[in-house]
Amino acid sequence: MPRLSDAMEEGTILRWLKRTGDEVRRGEPLVEIETDKATELVEAHADGVVEVLAGAGTVAPVGAALARIIGVADERVLASPMARRLAREEGIDLSSVPGSGPGGRIVAADVTGPPAPAPEPETEPEPVPVAVAPELPAVGGTAKGDTTAVELTRPQQTIARRVAEAKATMPEVTLAVEIDLEPVLALLDQLGARALDPRPELDDLLVKACGVALAEVPRANASFRDNRFELHGRVNVGLVVPTKDSVIIPTLFDADRTPVPEIARRRAELLARVQTGAIAAPELSGATFTLTNLGSYGVTRATAVLTPPHAAALAVGAVVARAVPAEGVVAVRRVMEATLTCDHRILYGAEAARFAARIRELLEAPAALLL
Amino acid sequence: MFAAVMADHPLPDAGVATEWLQAMHLIRRFEERASELYAQGRIGGFLHVSTGEEATIIGSVRALRETDYLVSTYRAHGHTLARGSEPGRVMAELLGRVDGLCRGRAGSTHLFDGARRFMGGYGIVGAHLPLAAGFALAADRLGTQDVTLCQFGDGASNQATFGEALNLAALWSLPVVFMVTNNRFAAADAQDKESSTKDLVKRAKGFGVKALRCDGMDVVQTHDVTAEALAVAREERRPMLVEARTYRFRGHSAADPDEERTAEQLEEWRRRDPLVTFGDRLVKAGILDDERRGWLDRDAIARIDEAVAFAEASPEPDPQTLADDLYAGSGR
Amino acid sequence: MSRTLRYREALNEALREELRRDETVLLMGEDIGVYNGAFKVTEGLLAEFGDQRVRDTPISENTVVGMGVGAAMTGLRPIVEIMTINFSLLALDQIVNQAASIRYMFGGQVQVPLVIRTPQGGGGQLGPTHSHTWESLFLHVPGLHVAVPSTPADAKGLLKTAIRSDDPVVFIEHERLYGQRGEVPDEGEEHLVPFGQAAIRRAGDDVTLIGTSRMALTAWRAADQLAAEHGIQAEVVDPRTLRPLDLDTIVASVRKTNRCVVVEEGWPNGGVGATLAALIQEHAFEWLDAPVVRVTGADVPMPYAKSLERAAVPREADVVRAALSTLRDV
Repeated sequence: MPRLSDAMEEGTILRWLKRTGDEVRRGEPLVEIETDKATELVEAHADGVVEVLAGAGTVAPVGAALARIIGVADERVLASPMARRLAREEGIDLSSVPGSGPGGRIVAADVTGPPAPAPEPETEPEPVPVAVAPELPAVGGTAKGDTTAVELTRPQQTIARRVAEAKATMPEVTLAVEIDLEPVLALLDQLGARALDPRPELDDLLVKACGVALAEVPRANASFRDNRFELHGRVNVGLVVPTKDSVIIPTLFDADRTPVPEIARRRAELLARVQTGAIAAPELSGATFTLTNLGSYGVTRATAVLTPPHAAALAVGAVVARAVPAEGVVAVRRVMEATLTCDHRILYGAEAARFAARIRELLEAPAALLL
Repeated sequence: MFAAVMADHPLPDAGVATEWLQAMHLIRRFEERASELYAQGRIGGFLHVSTGEEATIIGSVRALRETDYLVSTYRAHGHTLARGSEPGRVMAELLGRVDGLCRGRAGSTHLFDGARRFMGGYGIVGAHLPLAAGFALAADRLGTQDVTLCQFGDGASNQATFGEALNLAALWSLPVVFMVTNNRFAAADAQDKESSTKDLVKRAKGFGVKALRCDGMDVVQTHDVTAEALAVAREERRPMLVEARTYRFRGHSAADPDEERTAEQLEEWRRRDPLVTFGDRLVKAGILDDERRGWLDRDAIARIDEAVAFAEASPEPDPQTLADDLYAGSGR
Repeated sequence: MSRTLRYREALNEALREELRRDETVLLMGEDIGVYNGAFKVTEGLLAEFGDQRVRDTPISENTVVGMGVGAAMTGLRPIVEIMTINFSLLALDQIVNQAASIRYMFGGQVQVPLVIRTPQGGGGQLGPTHSHTWESLFLHVPGLHVAVPSTPADAKGLLKTAIRSDDPVVFIEHERLYGQRGEVPDEGEEHLVPFGQAAIRRAGDDVTLIGTSRMALTAWRAADQLAAEHGIQAEVVDPRTLRPLDLDTIVASVRKTNRCVVVEEGWPNGGVGATLAALIQEHAFEWLDAPVVRVTGADVPMPYAKSLERAAVPREADVVRAALSTLRDV
């Protein structure tokens, strides 16, 4: 099941254009998939013979195997119907699963059970006399103590999958800017005096600044997909919110043209719903860009991971007081470091720099953000 | 040869006799019409007609009480009509329509009208003889006075069930009359090629069953002999066999050839057409005139026309009802 | 409360109770009266109910069954005993073309509340014409019900249900089960076992064993052996009636265990196992970790010699091996 939109979790097979046994060529239309956003025609990724694994009407999660295209060199994997179904549901590639059933058949337990123990890939470090304490030989139990295996929850599986995908497929460029935050902080004091409810915070101005900048740099508000740039018509900023066991990214839609007080109101609402678990799927989808603020943890600089297929993501650190030269004298000003991560296939260095600079510009003259 | 016998069997009263003739005409016209529809392909499967056997059927069935059981072979249109089934519902069954006696499930071969105690209609030769013995057994056990009349052709007398059923009926003193319509020919084979003992009365005797014989082409004689046999079964509580000698005017079924019979034989038996001989007798006895006789026939035709119209207006069964009535309970 | 009865005694009780309860119940069969039954199932019934209700018949299977059909159509509830299922072949016309078809082909005008009782099975060196297991033959016919009790309690409960049913029932006992003992609810407790309800004799997670008639017990013993010697927990399902079939219980079990072995004494082609395997793969395909395995009687006419006969009838070891084959290479 391909990811047809960035927040897509699952899709429905509408109809197969090829049947099991049909020959198909790479690029030929293969299947029609429906998501809650749209219906898409998906093409075959290789030449070969189709083996349909899930029929029309099946709802399957992203990554689930819907069909195999068996090339000439392929061998059919020996697996039971139960094992195939489980593999399909969990998005596991059967060819990587060892079979314990009769004749080497892959059975259900092979798919769902703990993976066959793999040999330890790490080699123990050579004992170095001074700096590193030698590994104690294992005496009953391992040197690392008893291992507790924790099964991944679905969200954790999704995160693992996505970040791995991002790192594996997206060539990143990161660049950092240091932003003088005094003007913003002054503006926030003023806004605080106006008794707005909720009171606008730094994050709201950050969202707005990103929104305006994104509107001005189309390739930053875009995705690289299927060898094309997809420039999005709306500017939707996804706020990366850490939760107890996971990371949730609610979306602030139309960040470029939403007034700051409204941004503040919506952000507060979204955060509240994330806390109570009442956040709904549409609120977690549609982002074109993500913003992470790790400042509250005291982190001064962080590198965001791109959320595929976004072109860019911004991470900001804590507000710190620093001695900086200003008009020839050393002054103490509060600054914040913002790190921009970009997919270099769409957002090249110069444009990325321009984008980052624009964000700084907007934040250092924040009155414009209130317009 | 038969004339002398006729004198021993006087006519019933005028009304009854006329009704008998009328009923015979109804059967004749029904069978003619059914044969036409079959030739046109509108009746499918098998069609076994009783043309020429009207006297046997009416004579014997008119001897039955309403609560007596009648069971016959796959050649049973005449029997259902004789018992009073609506011609339209019989015809609808032949056409395989929802308003047929068996809702289109049975066709010509397996007619059944439980309300009139016509118990079928069976496709396997000789299969109903045990059933007849069963009806008699139940009547006996339940303490009723009902007798079962079981009709079949001479071909069935060589089926194992003939011997078994007669044996058991005799052993258990069951009130059942087995009536063999001996049409001399079973399918395309003459009887002489089938039975080592050709005399059915003798055969019955071998199983301990007393037998009577009658001229199946003579409705009055058939009636009287059948009545006698029924009375023995009812009062003396034992089985009887009646051999009714008849002749079929057509092949075994509407699809069979008439090859075995010689032209002379055919002509002789046409002179014996029971509708003609009985009609003549009624006219001679002053019960009917030619005009009324003609009216009887036209009336039969009109009733059959109505029956066909009714049948053709009835819808074909809905395939959704395919599994209906497979079980009386909620079984699967 | 319950007591221990033999299978034949449980059947005898069922007959006795129903004969007492309903005047229209009537027994017919060879040697059922004076001789008390070839297998003593009808012992004492002639003495209690007389020769009008317990009737010895001549050797005329086809006609006796046909009489049963006719009597059932006209107000009685006959129970015809066919001495062994081998002789039912002689009555197949009456069973299939009359008993099973009459209600349907006459458009529902009449019913046939007939029970045909008959034991099946081999194992006594009785040779090819006297050792048939014919449950699959009758399972094949729409319009019939088919019961295959394996325990005394089920024999009694199912027979009573059969007698009260308004539809024709082929009630298949087993010659080798007549002497089996088992717990049966007390007399006076109306013990009826409904049709279409399988019994789970033993619960387990690893493999489903389905056995019919005597093979239900063979499967049960195989399950014990699997647990004791191989640490495998088999679930044993006894269908008890083949028509109607409790498919829900069977499917639920296979979905739980992911493996199934069907054991039958009859021939493999078109047998009970073939039907169940087809149904299981239709309804539980995605839950199967292994193909459905059938253990059946050998595909030959039953031979006489002891060693040959033994090889022709499924035994525990065959079932154990079949179960193991679904789990690993054997």
